Amino acid sequence: MQSGAILGKALNRVGFFSLVYPEYPSRIRGGDNHLQVVFSTEPFLAPEEKINLLLAFGKKNLVIHLPELVSNGWAFEAAEYGLEEIARELGNPLTANTAGLGLLWAVLGLDLTVLEKEIQESLGEKEAILALNLQAVRAGYEKGQVIPDKIKLAGTRQKIMSLTGNEAFVRGILAAQCDFAAIYPMTPINSILTDLAKTEVKIFRPEDEIAGIMSALGAAYAGGRAMVATSGGGFSLMVEGLSLAGMAEIPVVIILGQRTGPSTGMATFSSQADLNFAIHAGQGEFPRIVLAPGDLREAYRLAGEAFNLAERYQVPVILLTDKYLAESRLSVLAEDFKKVKIVIDRGKRPRQLAHYRRYQITSDGISPRAFPGETVFITNSYEHDEFGFSTDEAAIREEMMAKRGRKLANLNGGFEIYGPESAQTTLIGWGSTKEIILSILKEFPKMNFVHFWRLWPLPKEAGEILRQARKLIVIEGNFSGQLAGLIESQTGLKSEKILKDNGRPFFREELIKRIQRYD
Amino acid sequence: MIDEKQLSTPEEITWCPGCGAYAVLAALKRAIIQNNLLPRNVVVTYDIGCSANMVNFLNVCGFATLHGRSIPVAVGIKTVNPSLTVIAQGGEGGIVTEGANHLIHAAQRDDDITVILNNNYVFGLTTGQASAATPRGAITRSTPSGNPYEALSALELAAVAGGTFLARTLAVDLKRTTEILSRALEHRGFSLVEIVQPCIIWAKEIKTPTPFWLEKPFTTAMEVIGQSNFFGILYNYK
Repeated sequence: MQSGAILGKALNRVGFFSLVYPEYPSRIRGGDNHLQVVFSTEPFLAPEEKINLLLAFGKKNLVIHLPELVSNGWAFEAAEYGLEEIARELGNPLTANTAGLGLLWAVLGLDLTVLEKEIQESLGEKEAILALNLQAVRAGYEKGQVIPDKIKLAGTRQKIMSLTGNEAFVRGILAAQCDFAAIYPMTPINSILTDLAKTEVKIFRPEDEIAGIMSALGAAYAGGRAMVATSGGGFSLMVEGLSLAGMAEIPVVIILGQRTGPSTGMATFSSQADLNFAIHAGQGEFPRIVLAPGDLREAYRLAGEAFNLAERYQVPVILLTDKYLAESRLSVLAEDFKKVKIVIDRGKRPRQLAHYRRYQITSDGISPRAFPGETVFITNSYEHDEFGFSTDEAAIREEMMAKRGRKLANLNGGFEIYGPESAQTTLIGWGSTKEIILSILKEFPKMNFVHFWRLWPLPKEAGEILRQARKLIVIEGNFSGQLAGLIESQTGLKSEKILKDNGRPFFREELIKRIQRYD
Repeated sequence: MIDEKQLSTPEEITWCPGCGAYAVLAALKRAIIQNNLLPRNVVVTYDIGCSANMVNFLNVCGFATLHGRSIPVAVGIKTVNPSLTVIAQGGEGGIVTEGANHLIHAAQRDDDITVILNNNYVFGLTTGQASAATPRGAITRSTPSGNPYEALSALELAAVAGGTFLARTLAVDLKRTTEILSRALEHRGFSLVEIVQPCIIWAKEIKTPTPFWLEKPFTTAMEVIGQSNFFGILYNYK
C-alpha cells in the first residue's frame, strides 16, 4: 500500500496525474494483493482492464495477472530481477517493494532523484528504515538500467498533488473544526479513524456503532461538531440514532463508506448499493441530506460543508463514499485544490435566552439552538411542543411535522453538468464514478454528463435538466439501478442503466464499450 | 442557592399514585441543591420507560434519548463539555437489558458520568413483562410459570468492568437516596446508583430484599459480587 502511495506521489512530482487503485482480500498478509497505478498528463483517470507494465512478486502472482498485460507490455517477476535478493541483503523483506519501485522507475526512464525525494518525504520520520529503502531503491534502479529500450516519459510542468478519498475527507473534517468523532473500525473508513487520532479532534472508539451515533448526538447536543464514520453494517446499527437526530433536530455528520453487500459481502471491495438505504433508513419521516462526492475537491469541500449543512438545518447529513473512492489515491492540480474554501457556519443560535423554546415554530422551520450550560431546555425523541415537553396532541404534531418538513425547502445546487449544454443523450452518475465517466466523456462528444453530488433531496432542477435529453443513461455500481429508480420516482423520467456489481469499479475500456451500444 | 421549585416544571406528573419515582425525583432535586449545582449545568439523558418520563418533570437540561441508549449519549456530552454534571438515567430494562453493553463499557472506561438505575424489576410501561433483572421465579405477564433466570445485576457487571463508585438504595428511603446521589454526583469517574423501587402495579408479587445497610464501603469492587441484600455505598474508589 505504501509503495503505491510513494509511486503515485513520485509521478505527481514529475508532472503526471496518477490514480492508485488497490485490491486486497480481507486478511492482513498475503493473498492476491495488488495495486493498479494509472498515470497521464491529462486529469480524470479511470482504472484500466489492460496494463502496460506488470511487476509481480512470486510466480503465482505473475500467472494470475499476466492475462491483463497488453500484447507489447512488459512483465517483471521480482525474484528473477533480483529484487528479493536486494531485500535479503538489506535484511528487511519489505524493501523488495521499494527495490521494485526503483526498477519500474528506471524502465520508465525517469529521474531517480525525484523518486528518492518522495521516499525521503514519505519515510523521513524513521531514519533507519529510510536509509534501507534508499539503498533498496538505488539497487532496484540499477537492475532496471540493464533493460534495453527503456521508455522515455515527460510529464507536465504543473504542480499536482494526490490524496486518497479518505485523506481528502480528513482535511475537510479538520477545516470544518470537527470536535468529536465516534468511529468503530470498519473497512473502508479505517484510515479516517487512524488519521484523525493524530489530530486535536476528540476520538471515541465506541463499544458498537449504536454507541457511536448516540455519543455523537450527545456531543452535538452539547455544542460540539460531531461525526461518525462507518460502512453499511455499522450504519444498520445506527438507524435508530438517525431517526432520533431527525426528531430531536440534532446535527450530525455520518460518513457511510459503501462496500459490497449484502451482509458481510466482499468486505474489501467497492459498491454503490447503499443509496436507497441512506435515503430511506429510519422509522418515521424526517428531513436529511445525502451527499456523494466524486473527486478530491468534492470530498474535501463536502466533508467540510456537511458540518455546516447539519448545523444550519439541524439535520443528519450522510456523506456517501465507497471503497473505491475511500482507499484509492486520486490526483488534482494543487492550485485547484487550494481554491476550495470552507467557511464555518454554525447555524441559528438564540439572541436571548429568556423564555427560550428549543423547538420554536419559525417560518423557515429552523429553531435557534442553545447548548446545555447556557440555559435549561428539553431535547426530546418523543414528539414535543415548542419547549420540548412530550406530547401526543394532534394539532401540535401537525405543526411540528410541518416545521421540520420546511427546513430543506431552500436547498440549492447538488449537481454538475459536463460536456455540451444540451445533448440527445445524457450520461448520469453519482459519487465515485465522476472521474471515471469524465475520463471517457471525450470519446462521446455528442453526449453530456450530469454528476449528482447531492442525492437527497434530489436537486429541484433535476427534472428540468434531464428532460432536455432524449435518452438518459444512468451509470452506477449496484445491481438494480438505484439512482435510476430515484430519478424516476422524483421526475417520472425513465433511464437506460449501465450497472456493475462485482465489487470492482468501472474500467475505462469496459465503460466505453457499454456506452457505445447506445451511441 | 436554588430551591426545589426552580427544579420543577409546569407539567402534570403522570406516574401512578404511590410509585417510587416520586421519591426518586425528590431525592434527585435535593441532591442537586445540596451539591450547589445550577440547573443549566446539569444534564440528564433519559431512557424510555416509566421512570424516564421524569424528563418532563425535572427542570434541568433533559434529553429523552432511546431505550437502552442514555449512557452513550451522556458519554458524548461529557466528552465535549466536561464542565457539565452529566447523569444517565434508565430502568433495569434500559440499563441492564437493552443497554447492558453500554453499561459495561462506560464502567470499563471509567467515564465521568453518573448512571441512575431505577430498578422496578419489570418492564412497567409495556405492562409487566420480565426483564434481565427480574428475580428468578417471579411470575410476570411474560413468565406465567415463573422467571427461569437469575437476575442480572448492574452493580456486579459494573464492579467487574471497573466502575469506581457503586451504590444501591431504596427509593422509599428519601434521606439515604439523597445522600447517595449527592456523593455519586461529586464522584470523579463512573458512578452507578441502583435505586430499588418495585413496580406497584406489575411487581406486586415480587419480594423486595430485606436491606442490610453497609456502614463502610467494601475495600475492593469484587466484594460487591453476590451481595444483592447489601445497600448503601458498596464501593468508592477515590
